[in-house]
This record gives sequence, structure tokens and C-alpha cells, in this order.
Amino acid sequence: MRGFLPAWALALRVVGLTFRAQLEYRGEFWMRVALGLAWQTSIIVFATVLLGRFPGMGGWSSDAVLMIAAVRMLGHAFYEVFFGRVGELAVLVQEGRFDAFLLRPLPVYRQVQLSAFPSNALGDLLVGGSLFAWAVWSIELEWAPWQIAYIVAALVGGMLVEAAVFTALSSLHLHFPSAITWSYWTEELMTTFGNYPLKILPGVISGAFTFVVPLAFVAYFPVAVLTGNTAGLGVPVAVAAAAPLIGLAAFAGSRVLWNWSLTRYTGVNG
Amino acid sequence: MTQMSTLDRLSRPASESAIEVRRLVKTFRTARRSPGVRGALRALIAPELESKTAVDDVSFSVATGELLALLGPNGAGKSTTIKVLTGILTPTSGQATVAGVVPYRERERNARNIGAVFGQRTQLWWDLPARESFRILRDIYGVAPGDYKARMREFDELLELCSFWDTRVRHLSLGQRVRCDLAAALLHDPPVVVLDEPTIGMDVVAKEQVRELLRHQVERRGRTVLLTTHDMTEVERLAERVVLINHGRIVLDGTLTEMRERFGRGWRVHVTLTGPDERPCPPGLTVLERDGARLVLGPTGGADAVPTHQALKRIIERYEVMDIRVEESDLEDVMRAAYRDARQESPA
Ligand SMILES: Nc1ncnc2c1ncn2[C@@H]1O[C@H](COP(=O)(O)OP(=O)(O)OP(=O)(O)O)[C@@H](O)[C@H]1O
Ligand SMILES: [Mg+2]
Repeated sequence: MRGFLPAWALALRVVGLTFRAQLEYRGEFWMRVALGLAWQTSIIVFATVLLGRFPGMGGWSSDAVLMIAAVRMLGHAFYEVFFGRVGELAVLVQEGRFDAFLLRPLPVYRQVQLSAFPSNALGDLLVGGSLFAWAVWSIELEWAPWQIAYIVAALVGGMLVEAAVFTALSSLHLHFPSAITWSYWTEELMTTFGNYPLKILPGVISGAFTFVVPLAFVAYFPVAVLTGNTAGLGVPVAVAAAAPLIGLAAFAGSRVLWNWSLTRYTGVNG
Repeated sequence: MTQMSTLDRLSRPASESAIEVRRLVKTFRTARRSPGVRGALRALIAPELESKTAVDDVSFSVATGELLALLGPNGAGKSTTIKVLTGILTPTSGQATVAGVVPYRERERNARNIGAVFGQRTQLWWDLPARESFRILRDIYGVAPGDYKARMREFDELLELCSFWDTRVRHLSLGQRVRCDLAAALLHDPPVVVLDEPTIGMDVVAKEQVRELLRHQVERRGRTVLLTTHDMTEVERLAERVVLINHGRIVLDGTLTEMRERFGRGWRVHVTLTGPDERPCPPGLTVLERDGARLVLGPTGGADAVPTHQALKRIIERYEVMDIRVEESDLEDVMRAAYRDARQESPA
């Protein structure tokens, strides 16, 4: 399996097969899709209620806030589609399935992603897509070519930031199965705080969401740049504008960390 | 570059062996931890480490086309050794090569040279029918369609897979699943095959099929096979050479006969005489039990014991024998003795 195209063809084939396999467990499949839907919808309901109560959060119009939520959720859906399996890597390790990946002449990280069809991501995609469409429709922007290109980049960047965070955390899964709780906790954190302008939070916390868990780069910074809400970001506007690039760099860094962690993998006993 | 490596190969007889393990050490450092977020936190910040040497200075080699059984009691370090050879684990020190490749440095290249079966775990896609896994593996390894068909037919003949290969792997019985795993491991025609307890959970018929398959792989295909097992019948039927390890150290590297000689309590001869006989025992023999006209005799010395045929001759010459039966200690006894012996040598 050499070359880019055959590798993708193979990946798609595996995805197709795992999809078909999941479809055969119809009940389980639809339950997962529904869970994705319910999960995301509850977040939106909460956000809308909050937005209704406090219009103009941190000086942002509610349309712009909606755009933050939309970019984050659609980016998250993309993350679930392409990278979501790292979030529960510890399970693969503990079931011993991870060891089998090391026996095959394919990159291990790719095999992790191909290990299951992301049926829960279908719900995320549906909700994220609808919310994004709604946000685009309600926001007042002229949609110049750079803005269109930028929001696409922001979506990809949001996906990459999230992938970077969970890939880095999953480096720990390879050694400490209980690190999975950190991934759950971080995901909780990102869904709770990811949909609002972070400037409404105290400086220490918004700082933490910029430099520790780089949540600000997922949606807040790029939407701020896009909508011109660049006051009080806590970083220079150029840095905020470079969010997609920073996402790419963070992801590359997390992959280096992950590969290093893999060389120190000691496996589960048995 | 090519010249160098050819020279290298010519000058080193070691490259004749398909598997080379040199002074291999694997130490596990495990963190003791309490469950939950707080436990994870502590594990992140101040892990309490304890180390455990699973493989301790192990060296052995397996020649191309040879079948070697790696034996030892639970926790001896067999699986750990095999995991190093498959590239799952990186050794703490020492080195290993498989078909000239260092598995943990060039994992993907090694994966093409090696077929691996871990009886306790499957490498098949859990949710897919076994046959879909075979097809995916065919694509991964780039097996030509003609070869694929021929090999599947062969595996089906030897392992009777077709009655269950369309079943989802998670619904297969243990024995069925391991048989599929075996086929999956051999699909890309690897020169080296390593198997960690390949017949675990199999019924007698399936076990025999697997042995047949392995014999076929070694004798007809010239493959190199390294296997671990707790089934002594298997060892007896398959292996000429064994490496015995305990507490991560090599206790014996030799033939089955050598192992018998070293750890077996040798032979015993059960004799029924025509009547009570008080004559002394022939030289080199000793009476172990005496019950009227029935005697049980064994060798006196340790290493330079009388061979059985000599002993029989001497017994028949001395006594009026009505019935005679030779009992050689079976391999399980030998292994038990070997494990016990090793335990005394290196108490852990
Ligand atoms: N990932 C690991 N982390 C910590 N300790 C380990 C790990 N893997 C193995 N060990 C320890 O190393 C020792 C050797 O284990 P190994 O699995 O190699 O034994 P084995 O010979 O295969 O035994 P068995 O016959 O029971 O399969 C054991 O004491 C085991 O507890
Ligand atoms: Mg084992």
C-alpha cells in the first residue's frame, strides 16, 4: 500500500465496511446518531436561552455569538468525523485492539481513526450544519471572498485545534488508561465554554482557555476577526487571525508528541 | 550500500537465522495509582513507579525454516519476548532482528515479513465478518487476487473456515476466531511466523488442524516458526528445539531430548517376576518399589544413567520375568520438574 491514492482508497473501503457493519446493528446505530443529535441540541437550547437572557454578551451581537457556537459545533462535528477515535483511545488499548494495529504495515494513528465508524458524528454534523446555516443566514456580513475563505479555514482550524488537544491527551491514554477521564473532562469544558465570547469570563480563565486548553482558537478568535469584534481578545489581533494556522501547528505538534509516546508504549499485559 | 550489505551478510553467519535475539532485556515501569480523576491527576504529576523485569538477558536464535517452541510457566516473559519481535514493544536493552529487520525500529517493514497470532486477542475487525477482514488485509499487504484466492482455498482446506468465515468476528467461538486469526496472519505469505498460544481454547480436532497447518508451513513452505504454548502434546508433536525461560531468564536452549535428560526423572521399569526373588539388583539399577513379585526399578546415577535398552537386557538376564513394562516420564512431568527447578534456582 504505497502512495497517497491507494492509501485513501483503502481507508474509504474500511470506513465503508465499518459503516455497513454498524448499520446491521440498526438499533444501536440509530441510538448513537440520536445521542449525537440530543447532545448537541441540548447545548444549543442552553445557549439560546442564555443568549435570550443576556443579549449582547460582552458587547457582541447575538448573531455574532451564534456564529461562535456554529463554528465550534461544525468544527467539532468535523473533528468527530476525522479524529474522534482518539478521545477513547484508552478503550482500544485496554481491549488489546491497539496491539493489533502495531502488527500491520500501516500508520498506527490512521488505524485508530479507522477502528470504528463515527456514527455519533452524524448527529453532530446534522446539528452543527443546521446551526451553521442558521448563523450564516442571520449574520450581517457582506461575505467577501476572503471572508468565505477565512470561515472555511476557521472550520478546519477549529477541527484541528480540537484534534490537537485530544491527540495530545490520548498520548497519555497509551500509558495511563485512567487518562481517559481527562479527555472526558476536557470535552465537557469545551462544550460548556466554547460557544461564547470568552471575554465575558475573568482574565485568568479566558487566559487559560487561550494558552492551556486553546479553546479560544477553535471559534472565538476567528469569529472575532471575521465580525470585527477584536476588542479585549487578550492577544494581538494578528495572533487571533492566525487561529487556523495555529490549529495546524498545534495538530502537527500533537502528532509528534503522540508518535514519541507510541515509541514508549508498553502495552497491556496478556 | 548494496555491496556493503552483501559483504556484511557474507561475513556474518548469524544472518542465516531468521530470528536473532541478543541479550534482550525488557523492564516494565508501572505506576501504582488510585482510580478516578484524582488518581489520574496524581499519575500525571507524581507517579509512583515500580519496575518489573519481564525479560532478563535473553539470547537465542531461530534458523530459517526451523520451528522453535518458547516454553515457560505463567509470567515467564514469553509474550513479552514475542511482542518485542513483532514490534509492539521496544526493549529496554539488547536487540532483536527478524528477517534482518529490527522490529521496533522499522515496525511497518517488519510487519510485512512477519505473521503474528496472539491467541488471547484478535487482530481481526471485531464488527466485521472474518472474510471482510481477510479482504482488508489483502488490500493492506497488496496480495495479488490470484494468490489470495489460492491461499484462502488452502486455509479453508486445512482449517475448515468456510462454515463460519461469514460470521461477524465478535460472534465467533474462541477456537473459530483463532483459526481465522491464523489465516489472517499467513495471508501475506510471511517468511517468519510467531504465535503466542495459538491453540488456546481449541478442541482436539481443531488443535490437530492447527498443528497440521504449522507443520505444513515449516516443512513445505520453509517458514520459520516461533511459538509459545502450555500444551505439551503440541510441543511433542511439533518442536524439535525448545527454549525454556523462567523469570525472564533462559533455563535451557536445546532439543526435547536434552530437556528430558536434564529434567526428566528418567525411565522406570515395572517388572512382574514369576515368583519372589531376593537376588540383588543388576548394576546401574536400583529397586524403587518392591511388592512381592512386583518390582519397580530405576537408574542409579544421574547423568550417566544406563539407557533403557541396556537396563531391560540386564533385568531379563538376571530375573525370571513374567511381564515387563517401561515407563518414561511424560513431557508434563519433565516441564513440572523444570519449572520447579528453575524456581529454586532463582527465587523471585
Ligand atoms: N505491560 C506490562 N506492564 C507491566 N508488567 C507487565 C506488562 N506486560 C507483562 N508484564 C509482566 O511481565 C511478566 C512477564 O509477562 P508475560 O506476559 O511475558 O508472561 P508469559 O510468559 O507470556 O506468561 P503466560 O504464560 O501467563 O502468558 C509478568 O510478570 C507480567 O506481569
Ligand atoms: Mg503470555
